[in-house]
Amino acid sequence: MTLDTYTSLFESTKSDISEATIPLQLLADFPYQVKQWVGMSTISRTKLEQKNVSLEKERLILLGQLQRSAELAAENLRLRQLLNATELLMQSVLVTEVIGVSPNPVNHSVTINRGANDGVYTGQPVLDADGLMGQVVEVFDNYSKVLLITDINHALPVQVLRNGLRSIVEGTSDYNEMSLRYVSPTVDIEEGDMLVSSGLGGRFPMGYPVGTVSSISQQPGKKFMQITVTPSAKLDRSRHLLLVFTLKDGDVTRDINE
Amino acid sequence: MNRNTTFKPVLIMLFVAMIFQFIPFASDWGFYKPNFLLLMMIAWMLYFPDQYGIGFAVIMGVFADCIFLSTLGYHILLFSVCGLILIFFHRIVVYLQLVHRVTLVFLMILLVEFMRAAIDSSLDKPLAIDGVLYLAIISAICWIPLDKVAGHFYALQK
Repeated sequence: MTLDTYTSLFESTKSDISEATIPLQLLADFPYQVKQWVGMSTISRTKLEQKNVSLEKERLILLGQLQRSAELAAENLRLRQLLNATELLMQSVLVTEVIGVSPNPVNHSVTINRGANDGVYTGQPVLDADGLMGQVVEVFDNYSKVLLITDINHALPVQVLRNGLRSIVEGTSDYNEMSLRYVSPTVDIEEGDMLVSSGLGGRFPMGYPVGTVSSISQQPGKKFMQITVTPSAKLDRSRHLLLVFTLKDGDVTRDINE
Repeated sequence: MNRNTTFKPVLIMLFVAMIFQFIPFASDWGFYKPNFLLLMMIAWMLYFPDQYGIGFAVIMGVFADCIFLSTLGYHILLFSVCGLILIFFHRIVVYLQLVHRVTLVFLMILLVEFMRAAIDSSLDKPLAIDGVLYLAIISAICWIPLDKVAGHFYALQK
């Protein structure tokens, strides 16, 4: 245990065995795939039409919002250039699907169906529709393992959206709870404050929603407050995720959007 | 009955146990999912301690460490201690009624979970022992079919 904790002696062996278990994960996921297929095959035409209309409306709304966001992005770029700030990072995404989850309730990780062949790399950020999910920790040819932000071994630099206060949010092995560390009792933070990734550390891009402050308490004699955060992402429910490729501004050399 | 006769059923059971282990549970229920590898190990070690001894427990521990992505040695330690207790008691346990064997498994799961909690606390990991009692009950119930299979091969041997 000591050798495995403090050295990487067994990493490659563990990685090989871990890769060998991926077909088992696919097999365990098979009933769900069958259910999905049966559901899709037996859905009525009326329901499909209704869904289509609803999706079309949603698309129009999102396109409208995108126009506004493009305008804001352009304005932001102009202001940054005026301030001589560092160049912006552009992000491109790749849709992926969860094919397996860690069988250990304490370790929060998932297996996704994209790997080195799709350009996935270790440390790559992963999002769902609602916020930051985690980062890629192990890459195989066609699969990757993603460590979720609620894992006990995960920490992430964040900032409060309202006032820019920086801190570190850590996982607690609970899908619905994280803890904000090293926050002094005198700082301006309130329940309901939105936390976004600060971009510090260079691993996660800046500005993605991480969670909302759900409770603040202070025990007498403790130097820092105990702050719990509810994650924005649906860590235990999201099936389709986005792999974020961070590219330097103007360095989009290949189309990886799907 | 030699080792070759039970080797195939053990392999099949290991395969099925691993698939069951990978089937995702809702996050709130994840803690109540039994450790099927441990249950399988208990079943075979109870009936065939000469063929599936402490080495088998270690191998199952290695499998569990790789599947659960835990530190190598974590499950090996838990499984080995569990295996030692089984080897010590197997001559008595094999002749007990099913309900008593199930009770023994229940107690063994409790022991393993408390050992796990002790190791976790020494590694500064969060303690999750709230639902241990329910986990032990569910595990003991899930163990019955495994006991039946291993018992069937034991009866064939006799």
